[in-house]
Amino acid sequence: MNPIASTLMLSGAVLALIASLGLLRFSTPYARFHSAGKASPISFFLIATGVGFELGVAAGVQLAIASIALAITMPSSTHLLFRAVHRTTDSNSAAAGADGHAHDGPHGQATGTGEADTT
Amino acid sequence: MIITLTLGLLVVASALALIRLLIGPTLADRVIALDVVLVTLMSAIAVNAVREDTALPLGILVAIAIVAFAATVALTRYIESTHQS
Repeated sequence: MNPIASTLMLSGAVLALIASLGLLRFSTPYARFHSAGKASPISFFLIATGVGFELGVAAGVQLAIASIALAITMPSSTHLLFRAVHRTTDSNSAAAGADGHAHDGPHGQATGTGEADTT
Repeated sequence: MIITLTLGLLVVASALALIRLLIGPTLADRVIALDVVLVTLMSAIAVNAVREDTALPLGILVAIAIVAFAATVALTRYIESTHQS
């Protein structure tokens, strides 16, 4: 077996293990999303590169398409989760309504639940 | 040998994410744990394709990625609409 492919696949598996360990051990939800949302797509990229070295071009094209799909979807889903936690935590919404932060001018504290349907 | 070790590490990683899926204090923690389990499953499918020396199961990976994204979007809309964490 190709040593480059073995090294890439093994390092990707170790990175997946580190991502899950951070997901399990960190204390706040933001830290858990930070660990899981960045390290797990990179571990898939490493493993896909190793598998593409091993299986040839036709498999590499499919793995590249899967990697692009993951690179588009995983950061946006992590961002949606960060935003959901930020909006539904009581201290954030209360502080934003009381202090009057610059970023939430017209959206006050009353539109926190009603603005979900913007289609 | 290397492939067996890689699959073992991926199994341990998805087991740790499943523990977070069980004990997660908020719903968002369970959603991101499900995402990590699915990404680890995609990696395991790719490594298993090397072990069986075929490129047939690699078409599933795009479907898994897009279904995981759709599930995450739906669940975050649910979290934001119910306004409970």
